[in-house]
Amino acid sequence: MFEVIPPRPAPGGVAGVGGWIRRNLFSSPANTLLTVVTGVFVVYVGLSVVLWALFDASWGQVWANQRLFAVYRYPADLLWRPMAVLAAMMALIGVMGGAGRRNEILRGLFWSLVAFVAFVTVIALLFWPSVRVLWAGVLAASLVGYAVGVARPSFVRGLPWAWVAWLFLGFFLLYGVTPGSGLLRIVPARDWGGFMLTLILFTGIVPSFPLGIALALGRRSKLPAIKYVCTGFIEIVRGAPLIMWLFVASLLLPLFLNTDPNNLPAILRAYVAITLFSAAYMAENVRGGLQAVPRGQTEAARALGLGGWQTTSLIVLPQALRAVIPAIVGQAIGLFKDTSLVFIVGLADFFRVTEIVANQPASLQVTGGVKLELYLYVALIYFFFAYRMSIASRQLEKQLGVGTR
Amino acid sequence: MSNVTPAPVRADAPAGGQAIITIEGLNKWFGDFHVLRDINLSVNQGEVVVVIGPSGSGKSTLIRCINHLEEHQEGRIVVDGTELTDDVRNIDLVRRETGMVFQSFNLFPHLTVLENITLAPIRVRKWKRTQAEERARFFLDKVGIPEQALKYPGQLSGGQQQRVAIARALTMGPKVMLFDEPTSALDPEVIGEVLEVMVALAQEGMTMIVVTHEMGFAREVGDRVIFMDAGQIVEVGSPEHFFLAPREARTKAFLSKIL
Repeated sequence: MFEVIPPRPAPGGVAGVGGWIRRNLFSSPANTLLTVVTGVFVVYVGLSVVLWALFDASWGQVWANQRLFAVYRYPADLLWRPMAVLAAMMALIGVMGGAGRRNEILRGLFWSLVAFVAFVTVIALLFWPSVRVLWAGVLAASLVGYAVGVARPSFVRGLPWAWVAWLFLGFFLLYGVTPGSGLLRIVPARDWGGFMLTLILFTGIVPSFPLGIALALGRRSKLPAIKYVCTGFIEIVRGAPLIMWLFVASLLLPLFLNTDPNNLPAILRAYVAITLFSAAYMAENVRGGLQAVPRGQTEAARALGLGGWQTTSLIVLPQALRAVIPAIVGQAIGLFKDTSLVFIVGLADFFRVTEIVANQPASLQVTGGVKLELYLYVALIYFFFAYRMSIASRQLEKQLGVGTR
Repeated sequence: MSNVTPAPVRADAPAGGQAIITIEGLNKWFGDFHVLRDINLSVNQGEVVVVIGPSGSGKSTLIRCINHLEEHQEGRIVVDGTELTDDVRNIDLVRRETGMVFQSFNLFPHLTVLENITLAPIRVRKWKRTQAEERARFFLDKVGIPEQALKYPGQLSGGQQQRVAIARALTMGPKVMLFDEPTSALDPEVIGEVLEVMVALAQEGMTMIVVTHEMGFAREVGDRVIFMDAGQIVEVGSPEHFFLAPREARTKAFLSKIL
């Protein structure tokens, strides 16, 4: 006669932290030896870095050049302009975070950014009297945005337009309107730089998204003209490194257009190059997703009488994009760091500022130099943002069940 | 005599009925492979035609030609008075009047059951959402799973998914239903629930072409059975004819394997 066997606890040494350590670190004499040797090495290196950072490093130059790192040569009396753009950005993200506060990922990203802003605000309140109010304003804007999002979740529907408006107004505010002096005087793009420029270039991922989708669909088109133009564009762009395209954009483009390079600001040229480069990779990511959608999906849609465009936009694309969101986030992380390549065409982005600071007379007088400190600082900032995006990507994968299906 | 093309077997609908599908001299190639050879088939309104045959015999390709999921190279296909040509408008017209149920269900995994069903009525027939949902719930009720409307396909069993697929096709109000091996991907214990729905549909007078190996279904509601092999119609007859006295050696060999 059938009887259910009651579950028994696992045998000793299998479950729990102790069991894990025994199984994975000390399972044999050789493993024990390896564990001890690597353990000693890791502790030694870690300790050295910490001791160096605390006692030997000279952080004075990093501290003294925060404005260069943030905005490069953007005039000090006009800092309210980039800060206003930042405040507007945080407010919009706040609306998103507030309206989507049940979404763990959106909420987490928003509060991470707020934590970063709050951290800088505290420092500004303590040490930087000139930008105190501005940073407090950014923090306040984030929280107000969040509150608005909580109170009026329906506002998200207008957000795409708000972002477009932000993009254009933000550009004009940064660039200025009137020549000469005054609150809205023009700041030539050669004075833009630092982390501000890195963020500006990073936004190139946004236009590259629809562009990449269009290219991916074009590559699968039945019309030969569209197909070969898209395929050609993707393959040619992917066939050369980003640095080369930056060169092309900064040196050859003005030549081909027969125009003075100064008529096309270097930032704009780099922006276009980065966007198109990113679009080509985006297209290949999206194409991977399109191929992952089974043929039966298209057939079922067509059999129901849906047209070609309806099938693509309602059935195929939503599934394809869902499948490649992690890849797209990965691309965004890559692009965020790749923007540092614009130093090659003379732009002073966040990364480039390290070299500039390292070559200041004040830096050169420090015994042992300050490059290590500068690069460590820059690396930490890059790491904070890249790792945060990476966490979000992993949460996203889990939420979408991509890895498990 | 070997150079003379043999006369193809014709599967004409019984006289007196009103033909809703007429296929004349249909030929199709996949590249160089001649997959459908001289198919002549007509189906009357309200008829249930069961197509059987070994895999690779072209039976799926045949019914996929009827809603132009596959393009044919020679011959005529007329569905409800509309001939399938390269004209996209004709193709869309025919697709609106023919529902199809696939072996692998092909539900849209990113949409709920209700959205799966109402998508085409709203987008193609331009119904109002409330009207579409009302019809959708009516058919969900009919296939016996009204309580699953707000779930996603991935949360349903295979049998439930296939019943949703049938409801999805029916909500468009088709004049013909095409079934492409609707039970082949199902676990044995849920085949019955899908067949039940199909039997009920047949008894209500729906015109159906069913590619299947379920001879029990053929015997219960099939008006005609068509046996295909190597891209040709080999034998046509009533279900009883196939059970009791199949004529061709190929038919006998095939039936001895599946019965």
